[in-house]
Amino acid sequence: MTGMSVSASGLAANRKRMAAISSNIANAQTTRTPEGGPYRKKEVVFGAEPAREYFSDILEGEMGENIKKVHAMEIVSTNKPPILKYEPNHPDANDEGYVAYPNINLTEEMAEMISASRSYEANISALNTSKSMAMKALEIGR
Amino acid sequence: MEDTTIQTLASALNFRQLRQDVISANVANAETPGYKSKVLEFEEALARAIDIDGLESMKADDKRHFKMGSGGFAMLEPSIYEDPNGISSPDGNTVDRDQEMAKMAENKILYDASVQLLNKKLAMLRQVLSDQR
Repeated sequence: MTGMSVSASGLAANRKRMAAISSNIANAQTTRTPEGGPYRKKEVVFGAEPAREYFSDILEGEMGENIKKVHAMEIVSTNKPPILKYEPNHPDANDEGYVAYPNINLTEEMAEMISASRSYEANISALNTSKSMAMKALEIGR
Repeated sequence: MEDTTIQTLASALNFRQLRQDVISANVANAETPGYKSKVLEFEEALARAIDIDGLESMKADDKRHFKMGSGGFAMLEPSIYEDPNGISSPDGNTVDRDQEMAKMAENKILYDASVQLLNKKLAMLRQVLSDQR
């Protein structure tokens, strides 16, 4: 059943990635944030970690070390400089009349979104294969 | 039961299940920076354990001889290693998702085939048991 939980971790990680992308698209024009300044593009960092479910997996040693789950380790704010637009009447304009807008490229976000959804689908089909193998095993001796 | 067919098929099922786990892990980590694609290999080890050509076993034609070789199922170990043919992307990841999906499909078909063979074998045994009258 390790395969299924590994695929599930892939699903969860890509869901998180999807959330970050949605947040980037939704906030493409946000000039005010609680931490001050314009919204900054969020990115999810993936990391691999050994799939250990039970104590026996730890005892198993090498085999367990080789099968790794994916985990969305952290969500980072990128440090791209904001885009300045001359809008002197905007309430968030600086002294020279420029407004700092988040540096978000919508095309890039859409591409990233498609990639996340493909990854999600790939994990789904891996999960389905694991499942149907488990179901097939139940047919032994019938 | 000391039946080579059943033992072989059972081991094959076990390893194919494990291979599915390895492939699932590769697919899940297709976008993890620095992750290296893993491969599980067992065919050769299994062939050695079955020992069809009899090269691995010693002749035991005297009843005082110990049987050696052939019964290698207990020590059967698959090997997992990093795919040496993987092409590294800029972030150091070597997973080729299409290739993994193809391997997964193949593995599943062979798994199902093993289950069918096992069922046939068991059906034969059942046949033998039921025909005594």
